[in-house]
Amino acid sequence: MAVILLPSLLAREAGGEGRFEIDAPTVRDALRELPVRDLLFDERGDLRPLVNVYVNSVQADDLGAPLEPETEIRLVAAVAGG
Amino acid sequence: MGVAVLVGTRKGLFVLTGNETRRGWSVEGPHLTGWEVFHAMRDPRTGVVHTATNNWVYGATAHRSADLGETWERAEGIGLPEESGLTWEKSWHVEPGHADEPETLWLGGTPGALFRSGDGGSTWEPVQSVLEHPTREKWNPGAGGLCCHSIQVDPSDPQRLYIAISAAGAFRSDDGGETWEPKNTGVAADFFPDDNFPEVGQCVHKLLVHPARPERLWQQNHCGVYRSDDRGDTWERLEGNGLPSGFGFPLALDPADPDAAYVVPEEGAENRVTPEGRLGVYRTRDGGASWELLENGLPQQAWQSVMREGMGFDRRDPVGIYLGTQSGSVWVSPDAGGEWIEAAAYLPTILSVEAAEWP
Repeated sequence: MAVILLPSLLAREAGGEGRFEIDAPTVRDALRELPVRDLLFDERGDLRPLVNVYVNSVQADDLGAPLEPETEIRLVAAVAGG
Repeated sequence: MGVAVLVGTRKGLFVLTGNETRRGWSVEGPHLTGWEVFHAMRDPRTGVVHTATNNWVYGATAHRSADLGETWERAEGIGLPEESGLTWEKSWHVEPGHADEPETLWLGGTPGALFRSGDGGSTWEPVQSVLEHPTREKWNPGAGGLCCHSIQVDPSDPQRLYIAISAAGAFRSDDGGETWEPKNTGVAADFFPDDNFPEVGQCVHKLLVHPARPERLWQQNHCGVYRSDDRGDTWERLEGNGLPSGFGFPLALDPADPDAAYVVPEEGAENRVTPEGRLGVYRTRDGGASWELLENGLPQQAWQSVMREGMGFDRRDPVGIYLGTQSGSVWVSPDAGGEWIEAAAYLPTILSVEAAEWP
């Protein structure tokens, strides 16, 4: 079971929920369970380039990694813009 | 019913509601914080508010609200088919379908793509005939990308549609979107070094069909202002006679007067500000034969820019004209351009302005 924490814009788009508990084989599978999956992945299934995924506080470079129990996933938008 | 102005900005959607005279306005919002609202409209058939929304991290989508902005629902999974080799980049314009088809809506955007919804905006399907158009290899993106920014439905025929793409030109479908013919005869593309009147490649900035005389089209182009009286088969260039420049982006019409149109010229492609250091709207009432400057109430020391969706009009008598600047002001004329009132200031950069009937 992983806990996924969303930033505020995604939480609004998820109906006001910023925290999800999801059981899935991999990090990618867990993210695909979210009601905001279309905002995280494009229509090719690729993670959008400015979406950063942190697994237990470490930026994930392999979304296909198995999801360990008690994992915390944080989604963070790239820090830029104006 | 009153009039509201839906103002799409870089930082959400604002709603301006007017009093009976359209001279007093209150500002409400922002809605959809965190989203760039490229265009918003209230569907006159259903009352639902639809937006073409983008976020630089989370991509392009569309939202709708059935309760005047209290709650919003996002369309999920808008995307282009893998075989197209394209991905959906930006939502630009959302347009109601024909009055006889209340569940049909159209969504245009980058890269040169059109979507149709048959369920009121819940789901969207790409229009293959646009993605596979035989002239597509001759299309070139403008500064805003290869954007499908104008979508018009002929009120007299639900099968007849128009789209305009920068810089691909204008296209007409007579079969509900199954096929599209380029409609650019007489429209200049001065930026090409060889052929200035190609079949496609024109940089349309905005295209509108006159609601009461649907065979008449108006077009603000990168290279001039044009009118067509034969559903886009041929176009006549209209500047001169009072218009300081043919370059500009927005366009507004008067539903009661097919001979009237409103534009906001800019100096030119290389200096995109209003000419002569003032904000001026130019109006024709003779089909583009002559133009007059409207400036009563508008700032007379100003270097402004108005984007392609930045002007709207209502269906009152006299017509109300609405203008939103990149610097965040909304200007309203309740009397067809005779007088201008600043209805809001200091909003974020304004991307779109659309008038709507509002309860």
